[in-house]
Amino acid sequence: MKTTTFGLLLSFLIIPPATVFAVDTIGQVHTLKGTAAILRGTDTLTASVGTTLHRGDRVRTGKPGAVGIVLTDDTTISLGPNSELALKEYAFNPKEGKFQLAARMMKGSFAYLSGLIGKLAPDTVQLAIPDATIAVRGTKLLVEVHE
Amino acid sequence: MRTRFSLLLAASFALCVIAGCASSHTVVLVPDPNGQIGKAEVITSAGKQLLDKPNDMTRVSDSSAVPAPVTTASPDYIAVTFADVLAIEPLPADTFCLFFQSGSLKLTEESQKAIPTVLETIKRRGALTIAISGHTDAVGSAKMNDKLSYERAGLIQELLLQQGVDPQRVTVSSHGKGNPLVPRPDGVAEPRNRRVEVVIR
Repeated sequence: MKTTTFGLLLSFLIIPPATVFAVDTIGQVHTLKGTAAILRGTDTLTASVGTTLHRGDRVRTGKPGAVGIVLTDDTTISLGPNSELALKEYAFNPKEGKFQLAARMMKGSFAYLSGLIGKLAPDTVQLAIPDATIAVRGTKLLVEVHE
Repeated sequence: MRTRFSLLLAASFALCVIAGCASSHTVVLVPDPNGQIGKAEVITSAGKQLLDKPNDMTRVSDSSAVPAPVTTASPDYIAVTFADVLAIEPLPADTFCLFFQSGSLKLTEESQKAIPTVLETIKRRGALTIAISGHTDAVGSAKMNDKLSYERAGLIQELLLQQGVDPQRVTVSSHGKGNPLVPRPDGVAEPRNRRVEVVIR
């Protein structure tokens, strides 16, 4: 298990897996239950499994609704029903030493599991909830935000 | 089980009303899938709380108030509050290491036998991303190994595509001898480094 985790870490270091996607893609919807939407600029897109995510997107779940998203560095964020997440900033380019993740959990329930950005550059991770910020060090969090 | 669930739900709602936490937020630090625990600091303009033990929890009610003293979230509280979130969490990646014979594009017999498992995993998961990376050990020049690792990754890619894996979901990278699984001095053979890694999500 240890060697495969190490191997996984190494395999992301030189060329990020994001090469299969268009440049703006920062991740994908991996799991979905009920309804969820992606708010991008003035557009509202219905989310389905495989829907790609862009920097600046807001992910909103209905009731019933729940969604699991995986970013290209393997950061995994899950949302429960009636929740909203803003993906404000994202950069993952190990070859150029570019790392950043800024996300705001605006309402609802969440699980956050850090990926390579959290492991390689934890200081570039900024998680926010209304009224507070959360500084994380390679970890898993459960967060509940009431409006 | 169901009655217990509704009782717990009612109890946590009642507690919420009593504690007046109608507009408060909760942050809980939990172990990751490998059982490891990290750290998190919850910070308002008035102060902060450090979470560093499993199930450490704090509440934030106001941006001008210090977050509440750290308590321990009970497994029941976590199960009730985060039931839907935990149920929707994507599975961690499945990673396979396929090993090659020295200086060649031939898989070892054992790794050849692993191919059906790789394909079955991709199919069973309905995998969205399949990341293939090629590697070599430290025997031979960088130039030679760049080419070899590239060809190894390409071989596995071709193998998967021939078996019907969607090319849109596959990424390929090659790392020459620069990313050993087991670091060794230059020129030293190491079978565990002669590999292609397939990371499936």
